[in-house]
Amino acid sequence: SRLSWLDNSGLGFSLDYPTISLHAVSRDLNAYPWEHLYVMVNAKFEEEDAKEAPMAEGEEEEDSDDDIEPIAEFRFVPSDKSALEAMFSAMCECQALHPDPEDEDSDNDYEGEEYDVEAHELGQGDIPSFYTYEEGLSHLTAEGQATLERLEGMLAQSVSSQYNMAGVRTEDSVREFEDGMEVDIAPAVAGQFEDAEVDH
Amino acid sequence: MEVSHSVKERTIAENSLVILLQGLHGHVTTVDLRDESTATGRITNVDAFMNVRLSEVTFTDRQGTVSHLDELFITGRNVRYVHIPDEVDIRATIERQLQAIHRIRYFGGRDKGRKEFPRARH
Repeated sequence: SRLSWLDNSGLGFSLDYPTISLHAVSRDLNAYPWEHLYVMVNAKFEEEDAKEAPMAEGEEEEDSDDDIEPIAEFRFVPSDKSALEAMFSAMCECQALHPDPEDEDSDNDYEGEEYDVEAHELGQGDIPSFYTYEEGLSHLTAEGQATLERLEGMLAQSVSSQYNMAGVRTEDSVREFEDGMEVDIAPAVAGQFEDAEVDH
Repeated sequence: MEVSHSVKERTIAENSLVILLQGLHGHVTTVDLRDESTATGRITNVDAFMNVRLSEVTFTDRQGTVSHLDELFITGRNVRYVHIPDEVDIRATIERQLQAIHRIRYFGGRDKGRKEFPRARH
């Protein structure tokens, strides 16, 4: 929920994501002698703060125009520059998780029923026809989570042996399940699949 | 064509002009920021919150200093303008993006295949 930078001794500082205006990977050695992650922050950093935060591998500049929004620039120079891509991507994902709460220009309030075009057209109310992996995980019930873990365990077992087909018990696969894991074909809840629609 | 994995983001995109920006993936263009700096580069991704990711960027800050960045991510909040390249057919782009969303939505067909959840009986 925050961007944190720590040096080897554990000293460091944090930035709140909503204050970050942009971030970038800079490999232009003419502009700055090391490849780094550049972060522009929409906030002011006072001299006192600059002293407390260790600047062993970072650099801070302050722009103190009063009538313009204050900005602070950070350049993070990792000891391993191949980490820059991962650092950049991680920040992109985190930024996407922090949409602008003060966004007045665009009406992003699409929670109303009339916007759920998918559901209406498919006649399913608030149940979507299918979930992609990322969004589906958060919708799992405890039972669904248990089922998922069991299925993934089964797949992991079957992948490790070429004689196994996923989920099918062969003579060889029985041996691998000797640690006591039962392959339960029956639904966990009686009648769970009774009303499933099977189209052929 | 990249469409978001998130139902929420697809809904937002479908109901706003951000869908046009999402159709610009791969194009080189200029983004003007709120603080009057500009970034010119190739659009890698635009999400529903108008966060823009660019590669091979020439960044001119508000003082006019030019720098080159391999990759740049601009928070949607800080975007003032996104220039639409001349070669882009705006209407065709929007229609293409909408089709991509509908392909995902109706994956497997409305009446074919096994549905994860039973359809409500009308």
